[in-house]
Amino acid sequence: MILIHCPYCDEQRPEIEFAYAGQAHIARPVDPDTYSDEEWERFLFIRANPRGRHHERWRHSHGCGRFFNAVRDTVTDKFETTYKAGEPRK
Amino acid sequence: MSDTLTRTEPVSSAPFVGEGISISLAVPMMRYSLRARQPQALETLLGVKVPTKIGAMEEGIACLGPDEWLLREPIGSKLVSGAGLPVSIVDISERAICLVVEGPRSAEILNAGCPLDLDRFAVGRATRTIFETVEIVLLRLAEDRFHVEVWRSFAPWMWTALTTAARH
Ligand SMILES: [Zn+2]
Repeated sequence: MILIHCPYCDEQRPEIEFAYAGQAHIARPVDPDTYSDEEWERFLFIRANPRGRHHERWRHSHGCGRFFNAVRDTVTDKFETTYKAGEPRK
Repeated sequence: MSDTLTRTEPVSSAPFVGEGISISLAVPMMRYSLRARQPQALETLLGVKVPTKIGAMEEGIACLGPDEWLLREPIGSKLVSGAGLPVSIVDISERAICLVVEGPRSAEILNAGCPLDLDRFAVGRATRTIFETVEIVLLRLAEDRFHVEVWRSFAPWMWTALTTAARH
């Protein structure tokens, strides 16, 4: 089983305590009323889907309950690092 | 009035006793979910020190998350109101029941379904975690004594899972 470091619990915890929550660092529209269809499409549906280093959100759902960000390699499934939500992209 | 009502429990009130293990239903208790951005607000209100390290437990208060605590107290305890303070106190006494897992085989039996590394889960720690697919709060009260807080509707399954593991 993969161990994931929760930046809030500051501990390696078993993977099944966590839930994947999509790509990280996608900013919500500040002024949604002014968004065009193309901008909505980009915000809702367009994702990076890289082969390799991927910034993604995870939630320690069966633990402290917090969302945080992680850098994971999509080829090896290895976690490079995890950091608290709100911290700059690593 | 209420003392004439009888409680019904979701699992047997007779303990399971096996070699190196006993599993029993804990006495009913009060449970409160405490939420606050600033633990000082809770400390002022409750007049006790609140642990701030996630996974730590002090005087019946377990820190489950950065702004979340579980307080367990004997039945009949009265909790002050948090009105006017930036805190949330919710009575969740009957949401969960507690199973006491005791004996030298405790950790081994819990690890039948719980993936936590219990060698590194010291006495006095408490955390939300998972057993198979059921969420629990696990508290280590002594080297070979654990409390498993499990939601009431999952309790019969939890009882069966633990006692089955204990039979092996
Ligand atoms: Zn955590």
